[in-house]
Amino acid sequence: MTVKEAVAVGHSHSWPRLAPRLPVLVILFGIVVFFFMLDLVLGSVRIPLQSVMAILAGQGSDNVAWEKIVSYIRLPKAVTAVLAGAALSVSGLQMQTLFRNPLAGPSVLGISAGASLGVAMVMLASGSAANAFAIRQLGMGGSWLIVIASSLGAASVLLIVLAIAVRIKDNIVLLIVGIMVGNITVSLISIWQYFSEPEQIQDYLIWTFGSLGGVLGDQLWVLGAVVGFGLLISFAASKSLNVMLLGENYARSLGMSTFYIRITVIAATSLLAGSVTGFCGPIGFIGIAVPHLTRSILNTSDHRFLMPSSCLVGAILMLVCDIVAQMPGSQSTLPINAVTALIGAPVVIWVIMRNRNLNSSFS
Amino acid sequence: MNSAILQTKNLAIGYRMRHSGMLPHKKGSQHSVRVVADNLSLQLNEGDMVCLLGPNGSGKSTLMRTLAGVQKPMEGDMFLNGRDLNRMSPKDIAKIMSLVLTDRAVTGNLTVYALVALGRYPYTGWMGSLSPTDEAIVQQAIETTGTRNFVSRHISDLSDGERQKVMIARALAQDTPVIMLDEPTAHLDLPNRIEVMRLLKRLARQQRKAVLMSTHELDLALQAADGIWLMNFSTSDASKGSADMVTGMPEELVLDGRLEKAFERNGFEFDRHSGSFRIHHEPTATIGLFGDGPDAYWTKRALERLGYRVVTDKAVSRRVELSGTNGSRSWTFFDGDAYDPEKYTDICAVIEALKSRGA
Repeated sequence: MTVKEAVAVGHSHSWPRLAPRLPVLVILFGIVVFFFMLDLVLGSVRIPLQSVMAILAGQGSDNVAWEKIVSYIRLPKAVTAVLAGAALSVSGLQMQTLFRNPLAGPSVLGISAGASLGVAMVMLASGSAANAFAIRQLGMGGSWLIVIASSLGAASVLLIVLAIAVRIKDNIVLLIVGIMVGNITVSLISIWQYFSEPEQIQDYLIWTFGSLGGVLGDQLWVLGAVVGFGLLISFAASKSLNVMLLGENYARSLGMSTFYIRITVIAATSLLAGSVTGFCGPIGFIGIAVPHLTRSILNTSDHRFLMPSSCLVGAILMLVCDIVAQMPGSQSTLPINAVTALIGAPVVIWVIMRNRNLNSSFS
Repeated sequence: MNSAILQTKNLAIGYRMRHSGMLPHKKGSQHSVRVVADNLSLQLNEGDMVCLLGPNGSGKSTLMRTLAGVQKPMEGDMFLNGRDLNRMSPKDIAKIMSLVLTDRAVTGNLTVYALVALGRYPYTGWMGSLSPTDEAIVQQAIETTGTRNFVSRHISDLSDGERQKVMIARALAQDTPVIMLDEPTAHLDLPNRIEVMRLLKRLARQQRKAVLMSTHELDLALQAADGIWLMNFSTSDASKGSADMVTGMPEELVLDGRLEKAFERNGFEFDRHSGSFRIHHEPTATIGLFGDGPDAYWTKRALERLGYRVVTDKAVSRRVELSGTNGSRSWTFFDGDAYDPEKYTDICAVIEALKSRGA
């Protein structure tokens, strides 16, 4: 083919389409359903798919233990995994776009650190045996006290960052401020730990391992509502986030209020990352890895498409991590926070080696 | 007919420097204000391409930012399409004025088409879906800028020249009567610089856009611009360090010597004939040169570069004479009575001989 012909062919091409590619979303949703079911089937006891389906359909099962396991343990855990994966991925995606930094994630504004500080305050400072006893009675991850403490911690750090964000115009400065606030928070926790009893530190450490299993009943509804609200705000910000890819100056020249979009994105991220950290403990890595994975697989920067895709990919990755953490067939489980890094890190390394476009996404 | 689309009256630009970002700003503290330029009454007409020239630090960017509505003016009024710019919402401004900035940071995963489509932001709904009209405008912008062949490529895969054209296409898709560009030809090679200039010129002529660009390309600006806005550091003490602004048609500025005056500085001189600047070589010796045509011109340039003052005076003992016609040119080098005249057939040889002879 000569150059001229090539040009002619190029001209005859139809114009590219920007509308979200529905088939990809459908395929991703199918994969989510597959791993969701797998998560219900696998575990210390293997429950056949037919029984799981029957229990889900409300027909019950001959095996009462299976019914209890699926309804009260595995189903809430799988739903939590989906919610946490979607929430962390979407907040990571927004942070990376807002700060135009490939290493930004949900924890970058110190929100997770704030949540940790709240939990540390309750666990380490309470000191009184009654309090510690109450926590143990309620179960570590499932304690409302822990949830409220971590939410308050996340919210107070968020308020500090928001107050600064209102005054500072430069996003990079805001990013550094967020990291510094996070560092201060972490050092406060260290000081607290230094003056605490070993048992209390152990309780706190167990919380930092993260857990998807503690969110039950009402808590699941609360988590679902907060995550749903956060996702709605995030989806509504898609159009503006696309423009943010051009940088703040271009965004302003297009008539966009960079102030409102920043406040919106920070608020959405706090709701998403703050609530998940509150209910499940700190879960690292998903927020950084999934946006890269999604961008790389789908080869796009359009947030109207990236947002739902990140939700689905995040849910898939989180379900896979949960399946691995249960170590099917064995009685013990692994801490979820360790598994997310263990599985996610090689995935991201593979993606980067394959594409080498991690940096070009932001330069 | 020319109607002003962007107009300023007694505009003063500069900065209000706040000593502490957290404290409420104190009004009236004199030394916290730096006026970059004042008394600017400028006018940008539709269908005109205006080049904003000036040395680094003279306040070009401050003026561009102020005109773009990004920075508040210190004083004076600005009118966009007859409306007070300060009273317009960012969204309204975005429908009249588009910018092409030097910011290079653009995500690599964005395709050319998606990027140009972002220009429709002020017109689309909350999800940013393009209507058929939006699509048509985007496609038109791509056709006009000649970027049709790489619509599906990623921004990170483009050359600097292609990228600049895509950014101009994005501004076109914004469908505004005014386009402002901040040094659109920076980082480009000469063919691309010329191509970008021609593209902007075409937009001004054919689509009646008002184009304002800041640039350091004096040569190209003089050839292509309908108007020149020249900013320079003030020489008089009265203006307290703020910049001077000279505006006019390029040819007018050259002929009445204002351009020359604005760039008056040690080390280079403005050549009114060629309309270009020349490095001023401090002469350390004198040499005679006789001849004409391009050969003589370039020989003169070479001699000046070596540090000679070139004269046409037979009394000077050291001299070069050109003889012969095209194809068989020769340079004869006379150097006083101590040496015999030497004849050379190419310019390198005669210059080498001069160098070896020394002063």
